[in-house]
Amino acid sequence: MQDTEQTHPLQVARQAMPPLQPQQTVALSAAQAEAFATTFERLAAAVDTIVLGKPEVVRLALTAMFAEGHILLEDVPGTGKTTLARTIAAAVSGQWRRIQFTPDLLPSDVSGVTIFNQASGAFEFHPGPVFANIVIADEINRASPKTQSALLEVMEEGRVTVDGNPHSVPAPFVVVATQNPVEMDGTYRLPEAQLDRFLVKLSVGYPVEAAEIEVLRGTHQRSPDHLQPVIDTDSVAQMAEMAKHVYIADPLYTYLVALANATRQHPQVAVGVSPRGLIALTRAASVFALSKGRTYIIPEDVKALAGPVFAHRIQLAPDASMRGATGTGVVDDVFDQVPVPLPAATA
Amino acid sequence: MKKLSRYRLRVAAVAACLTLMCALAGTVAARVYNGALLYYLVIGAAFLAFTIGFLLRNKPTWLSATISFWSLALGLVGSFLLTADGTQPVPTMVLDALVNAVPRTLTALIPVEATPDTVGVPVFLTWLAATLACELAIRYGRTLLGCLPPTLLYAAGLYLVGPNATPVIVLTLAYCLLAAAALAVTSAPPERRPESDAAVDSAVPGRAAALAGSIFGAVLLLVAVVALAPVAARLVSTSPGDPRELVEPPQLTDIDLNPLVRIAEWAKYPDQELFKADIDADAWMRLAVLTEYDGVTWQASGDFRTAGSVLPSSGEGAFGADIEIIELGGKLVPAVADPATVTDLPIAVNLYTRALLTPDGLATGQKYHVGSDLVTVDPEAATSARPDLSDPLTIAPPLAPPEIMATIADYIRSEYDTPYEQAQGLADFFGEHYAYDAEAPSGHDLPALGFFLGNPAEAGGQRGTSEQFAASYAIIARLIGLPTRIVVGFEVPSGSSTVTAAQGQAWPEISFDGVGWVRFDPMPGEGVAPIPPEDTLEDLEEEPTPEEADDGSGGENPEDFNDDSLENDPDFTDESSEAASAVPTWAWWAAGPVLLACVPFILKARRRMRRRRRLRQGGPAARVAGAWAETINAASRAGVKATAQTNAEETAASLAPLEGDIGALPRLVNQAAFAPGSVNSADADEAARIALAFCRHCDARVRRWRRWLT
Repeated sequence: MQDTEQTHPLQVARQAMPPLQPQQTVALSAAQAEAFATTFERLAAAVDTIVLGKPEVVRLALTAMFAEGHILLEDVPGTGKTTLARTIAAAVSGQWRRIQFTPDLLPSDVSGVTIFNQASGAFEFHPGPVFANIVIADEINRASPKTQSALLEVMEEGRVTVDGNPHSVPAPFVVVATQNPVEMDGTYRLPEAQLDRFLVKLSVGYPVEAAEIEVLRGTHQRSPDHLQPVIDTDSVAQMAEMAKHVYIADPLYTYLVALANATRQHPQVAVGVSPRGLIALTRAASVFALSKGRTYIIPEDVKALAGPVFAHRIQLAPDASMRGATGTGVVDDVFDQVPVPLPAATA
Repeated sequence: MKKLSRYRLRVAAVAACLTLMCALAGTVAARVYNGALLYYLVIGAAFLAFTIGFLLRNKPTWLSATISFWSLALGLVGSFLLTADGTQPVPTMVLDALVNAVPRTLTALIPVEATPDTVGVPVFLTWLAATLACELAIRYGRTLLGCLPPTLLYAAGLYLVGPNATPVIVLTLAYCLLAAAALAVTSAPPERRPESDAAVDSAVPGRAAALAGSIFGAVLLLVAVVALAPVAARLVSTSPGDPRELVEPPQLTDIDLNPLVRIAEWAKYPDQELFKADIDADAWMRLAVLTEYDGVTWQASGDFRTAGSVLPSSGEGAFGADIEIIELGGKLVPAVADPATVTDLPIAVNLYTRALLTPDGLATGQKYHVGSDLVTVDPEAATSARPDLSDPLTIAPPLAPPEIMATIADYIRSEYDTPYEQAQGLADFFGEHYAYDAEAPSGHDLPALGFFLGNPAEAGGQRGTSEQFAASYAIIARLIGLPTRIVVGFEVPSGSSTVTAAQGQAWPEISFDGVGWVRFDPMPGEGVAPIPPEDTLEDLEEEPTPEEADDGSGGENPEDFNDDSLENDPDFTDESSEAASAVPTWAWWAAGPVLLACVPFILKARRRMRRRRRLRQGGPAARVAGAWAETINAASRAGVKATAQTNAEETAASLAPLEGDIGALPRLVNQAAFAPGSVNSADADEAARIALAFCRHCDARVRRWRRWLT
């Protein structure tokens, strides 16, 4: 565990962000969207200098962060999951902690413990590593389900209850978990309730050839530890607040619900996307739209994020999963079925 | 949800309109059927077919087609069973009806009897029209195309029925209203329209061209309608197409083709019992009516056509006759004049002479009932009437008649003034100068008649049967200038009686204007000794004929008589003017291609108007949406179809094969659709510019015929 809080000047980022009134309900201005996009792009560019050749994954991960959601990175070992998680943590000047999940890790190792202080004669709470802005839960599926469940409350409600006393974690609070595919030895499948709490599940994948050569060339110089933060937690909170004011047209709500319904009625699916999944997609799409400098969502945003947001929430029917169907395949099917609310040629 | 229900309402309205249109189109043809059964059948077919198509509109086409096909098969068999008389086993009846449906429907006379043979075609066509209409309008959303099948059916019905039924102005109006309603409902689907947030009107490139195209199309259509509508209306109301001409009529045997020869046989065996008749009053029953003489035989004009139990263009048939055949052979059916209904006998009718025929021939023991109109002619009215010369067939005299005929004709003309007097005078001349002889040989060719008329009594001439009397009379009357025909029939007393061969007779009839055909009897009275005709005719040769003495005076010659009266005859003047103003046949044939040629113009004008509406009307958002719709349409015509499931950027990517540039249009349409108020009129102008350039680019890639026809 490591504390990287630094006093790096972040004036540029703060000045670039026009102030947002807390009660603001009207649509954002184009200038605000532009400022958001600029900051987002600068942050993504900073992460790109460490995580080479994966700009889409980086932007999706950052989108999830600004949507106040948690990120699950799943891939085979050695593809840069932890590097990505650490780089994002390093690029934000806030408190970050890393928890290495092992089979013998206990829930109290995550949430913290209450111990008796003989000097003061009272019980004192010692916060666990979960009390940070960004928590990297490395190899989360190597811990037992009991320990994994220690994260359930904090991920949903932003607080930890120990011995009946609630303790709030700092805001913003983002869990970036990595895991190996469940087929690997010594892993425990994440419970559905926990999977549903991750806003997106991303797969890093192998880099392309040119990027991989570049990785080899600068292995020693390139480390998240050397990255200077480009944004502070206040700005992250402010940008997350802005994302809640992105305009969504009525036809798009219908479109979103139709998509969710289509997953529920898909023949290969046992349990489709929950309303929470739909809300998650809306939040993520809002951030995505702002990151493109738009103050409103368009169907393209929905399509770009539906895979990462929906795929891990879809429970396939047993026979379908045995035949090799995947959540991503179902999402693609659904987009082939539901009409986009655009002006049609028959008008 | 609100939009969904509006969409459903819209589809339901279109479906209802089209169903009613198909039902109406089917009933147009049903008007010429006897009874109301066919109305129920075609209306049922329209509703069933459309309902099946509508319920399966979201299922694959093959499934819908298969279910519709089997339902049609069931419906057809059901119709056959409803209309069958039960004399045949069902499989035979169904097969027979399917194989013979088209020829029997086309040859059936109006009013058509609803039998398995005749209901198949209308039910099938109505079903087909309804299915196609449903597929096009409901499944594919092309309402205008969907209106086409019922409209074609409607037009075909009108054309084939022609003036044989009462006009259908109300039906046609209702049909047009339904079509308009269906198109009106689809022309502005509310859920397809993007929200309009401002009303900015500005000129868009192509407006002048669109206007010119619209005006050109409208003017062309108007000219075509003004020029062709009266012609088309007359075509339908006066000379409908007769598909029956394409089908061979029932064939006649020699005995039916030339029934006059049967007189000799009947005269020789007068006790032969031909049939039993039970009639309401004394009447002359007809077997055949003969109008054409070629110098050898008298024959009937016109063809026999299959008819139902109710004969076409007839009255109520109040005069009833029950007939049971005994020994009468052949196919010709004896009946009192102007038969209207025939029951218990398959019948064909010659519409020209209104003689009857049964295709399978008469058989001993066959019973049937004939209801006739029995038009009685008032001889008093005929005395002052002019002969009816409208039918050239009844006035054509044979080439090179024997001299004796011309002599008798001259004699009659010189002796009598008015046509009726001449006709009666000729009958009297025969009655006074010739004798009846049952043993006389058969024959009515010109030499035989010359022998009958001219040979001395000692040499076997001047006597014969009614065959020779009627034939000679008819030819001489034509030489005089009177329209004649010969009827072969029987004199039957009222009540129940057995008609024997002795009652068989041939007699001539002469047609008078406004009166009709009047029967004349040239037969001699009983026990009257004939005066040799040469004595009477010699007197004529000695003194000059009235024509020679008073040439050009007119009035005594029936032709002159006619000419004089015709000059001031308003009827005749009307007829001639009508004939002069009649549109030549080629005009009818030209009208179709001209109307067809208009279709591309109308389509083009419609497209231009739609483009103008989309690019010019409404607020900026509506115009951007319109530009997008135009782009999609243009791409579709050029062969690249965008599905409803693709978003704007994917659609733009899918248009790449067209190599056209739509630049900022996907961004603008997203902005217009999902960020209201964010597009301004400059954006709309830009979108219109892009769309127009793209449309032009696509049009250049579309094949020429496709550019004209879509």
